[in-house]
Amino acid sequence: MLRYLLLRLLRLVLAVWLIVSGIFLLSRLLSPSAALLPFATGDLVLSTSSVQEQHVAEKRLIHRLGLDLPVFYTTPAPNGKSWQWHGARNQYQRWLSQLLRGNLGYSYRDGQAVTSLLTNALAYTLPLTVSAALLVVGLSVWLSVYMATHARFRRYVLSGLYVLDAIPLFVLGLLLLLLLANPETLALFPAYGLGGERELIEATWLMRVGSHVYHLVLPVLCLVLVSLPTLVVQLDATLQQEQRTDYATTARAKGLPEPAVVRWHTFRNALLPTITQLTNLLPSLVAGAVVVEVIFALPGMGRLLADAAARHDYPVVVGGVLLTALVRLLAQALADWLYFLADPRIRLRA
Amino acid sequence: MKFLYYCAFLLLVIKLCACSAPAVDTSTVSVRWTHDPESLDPLLYLSSGNSTQAINLLYSSLIGVDYVKQVKVPLLAEALPTMRYTDSLTFITYRLRDEAVWDDGQPVLAKDVAFTLAVMNCPELPNETARAQFSFIEQVQFDSTDSRRFTFVCQGRSPEYEFSSGDFPILPAHIFDPKGSLYKIPLVKLRNAALAQSAAVQTFVQRYQQAQLAHHPMRLPGCGPYRLQKWEPGRYIVFQHKANWWGNRVTPTPVQLQAYPRTISFEIIPDENTALLAFRRGQVDVYPRMPAREFDRLRQSANAKKFAFFTSNSYETLTAGFNVRRPTLHDRLTRQALTKLFDIPALIAGTQLGYADRSVGLISTRQKEFYNDSLPLPSYDPAAAIALLRQAGWRRQPAGAWQRTTATGKTQRLALRFSYRTGEPAYEATALQFREAAATIGIPVALLPTERSLLDAQMKAGEVDMFLRSIGGNPTEFNFAPILHSGYIASGNFNAFGTPSSDALIEELAAAESFPRKRQLLRRFQKMMQEESPFVVLYFFRYRLAADARFTGLQVSGLKPGYNVMTIRPKQANAG
Repeated sequence: MLRYLLLRLLRLVLAVWLIVSGIFLLSRLLSPSAALLPFATGDLVLSTSSVQEQHVAEKRLIHRLGLDLPVFYTTPAPNGKSWQWHGARNQYQRWLSQLLRGNLGYSYRDGQAVTSLLTNALAYTLPLTVSAALLVVGLSVWLSVYMATHARFRRYVLSGLYVLDAIPLFVLGLLLLLLLANPETLALFPAYGLGGERELIEATWLMRVGSHVYHLVLPVLCLVLVSLPTLVVQLDATLQQEQRTDYATTARAKGLPEPAVVRWHTFRNALLPTITQLTNLLPSLVAGAVVVEVIFALPGMGRLLADAAARHDYPVVVGGVLLTALVRLLAQALADWLYFLADPRIRLRA
Repeated sequence: MKFLYYCAFLLLVIKLCACSAPAVDTSTVSVRWTHDPESLDPLLYLSSGNSTQAINLLYSSLIGVDYVKQVKVPLLAEALPTMRYTDSLTFITYRLRDEAVWDDGQPVLAKDVAFTLAVMNCPELPNETARAQFSFIEQVQFDSTDSRRFTFVCQGRSPEYEFSSGDFPILPAHIFDPKGSLYKIPLVKLRNAALAQSAAVQTFVQRYQQAQLAHHPMRLPGCGPYRLQKWEPGRYIVFQHKANWWGNRVTPTPVQLQAYPRTISFEIIPDENTALLAFRRGQVDVYPRMPAREFDRLRQSANAKKFAFFTSNSYETLTAGFNVRRPTLHDRLTRQALTKLFDIPALIAGTQLGYADRSVGLISTRQKEFYNDSLPLPSYDPAAAIALLRQAGWRRQPAGAWQRTTATGKTQRLALRFSYRTGEPAYEATALQFREAAATIGIPVALLPTERSLLDAQMKAGEVDMFLRSIGGNPTEFNFAPILHSGYIASGNFNAFGTPSSDALIEELAAAESFPRKRQLLRRFQKMMQEESPFVVLYFFRYRLAADARFTGLQVSGLKPGYNVMTIRPKQANAG
């Protein structure tokens, strides 16, 4: 078992290294001056600097960010026919050695440490995504058990879920806003953010927590509604299959009522195929929910990474990909482990 | 059902625990921003609109712009500078206001200005843009009899120097450089990279970087009317008015030194629908750059009385450019023909809902004294386009395509690729309209929506045929060299346009100082650009802004960001 875990860990580290190295090298394929265009500054018409001075400024910026170094140990020669060897003085080596010391680099946009940006964004994302994930799992279990024991409602609930599943996330978010945060319909919830300082002057800690939760209701609801159909439909399908098995018939023949059959016999087995879906929720917990974060103006991971990608802020993009890839691979390992625990017939092979 | 009851009960508890809606607070003005400022470090002053706006609240420049009159006005300086010229040098003399002090009570002196210039030129600091922008200042001369008077010695001569020499935030010398070890180093010497190794520079750089002014400007006393109260990145940034701000002691307080709101909160709301909802709910007081459709809808709604609506003619224009390096676009007749395929009134009506203004060129119609009204506005006229194409030597083939044979015997086929920025519905509509119009006369046009920075790189490298480009301008300076001079082809002149006569005219215009000369040259410039047609001005944008009707005094302007948040105040206070 230990050997399996060690080998699995080794594979995981190797996969993360390959993914992140790939992203790093791809991000550096664009020429430094093109990559830095979103950070280029100044109004052209007002500029008092000459072309030469602008070029010197661009070169200084590129040098300061270390983008004047060769990208990798070896790169194609300018003639394209041979390869040049650059030794250890290259961008990849510099980035990797920083990474091994826990430094993910600095944002091109505002010069902040990427680790600090990711930590700050996670502080907003995790409460949102974790609470949504817990609610989704809880509601999925409750709904699928309810449908198994109340067959007459199953058709209607499933139809409702299919309709919900057909609504795109951004439409759902806007609908919730327009229905529940609109002065012309129902202004039950705040329209955006997590509340400002002026709303919380002299507020007690309970009020602060209450305000935070209150502001998160619509974003969480949005995430729950969008994730619920897939999980419930999957769980319901497997539960229906388990309900038709011989051991379920035997349980009924023993005189057990239907709710007891579901709770104590079929539900546990129905959970097995859902393990992958549940563990797949983990990467999205840290990757954030870009659409929800943009609509509800929450400064989470999704918005951070989307902004960074749009502005070519590659250190932040690579840092975000590293974190997400790591969690995804850990989630896969966790899924394997849970399968092993849940079904003794499965034996792990390294 | 129990479950639903539980949910309703839980929501009720949360609602009760949460704070109630804030009481109407007119001392705070909240403004919608789409994103955070990149940095509050004055060294990165030129980085973006939001940074500039925020830095202007924290620090003052020597001179600024009156938003309404759109003229230069003194801020820290007691008057606009006096200019003196020799053969190769310009001397710009300023005197600082007697009232101007830092937050810690220290006076703002000439040495602070010298220190700021030293910081902008110091090696090893992220000051590349500022260094390039202010490289024309060679030296700062102090006045031995007056610690507030100083003179910039500038290389060469340009009308732009008057404004540019005073348009940067001033930093306090007494905090970082009390002994003058940095600002006493001559600027020319400081610009030398070798000086990076000197102990004075290294010590200063280390101290400056440790201060992390980009996110903690409160570590340095400012001389602007506000101090940073709180910045929650991605959520809000709040500025608090200084009770003892020196501007209040200037009597009578000129408009440019007035600062009314006690607190200014910039709320970061990226999505337009959410921002609109927050505005309608009163969570946001000022909504700049409101989308045209929402602006009209709100103005016609039953709640319109709750809001005040403003528009201002901006100096920002949308142009369609031609890459004159392309053999098919090298001659002016072909370019003139293609300009006839833009239906500009329809584009203004369709994409801007009428909130835009036509023009014959890069000068806005509101600048009546400089606008060449003798020129015709660009018109949609496919028949004229065909005639011009024929004049340019193009012949329509039986299959419908246009071809011509050059003097060297080479056959050219007229087919265009039209590049524009993705994610801009107005740009897309413009490109589609042009493609449809071109198709009616047999010119195939391929549309290439491209990611912004990739498009900029392609335009710079001359890899596009036609492109849409937004150009920012201003009402006072007329230096078109960076976008139209042949010397800037590797930089901002994406059209790669430039003839000896156009270069000479642009240089003459940039150097013109007298009003009649400027007027004469600008009218000539507009005529030349219409004849050469390296681009066609589609329209000048109008900024749209809505504000809560509880406030008054908001100055709107055609200059970025389009409004002056410091002059806004509650209506009652105004009346009283």
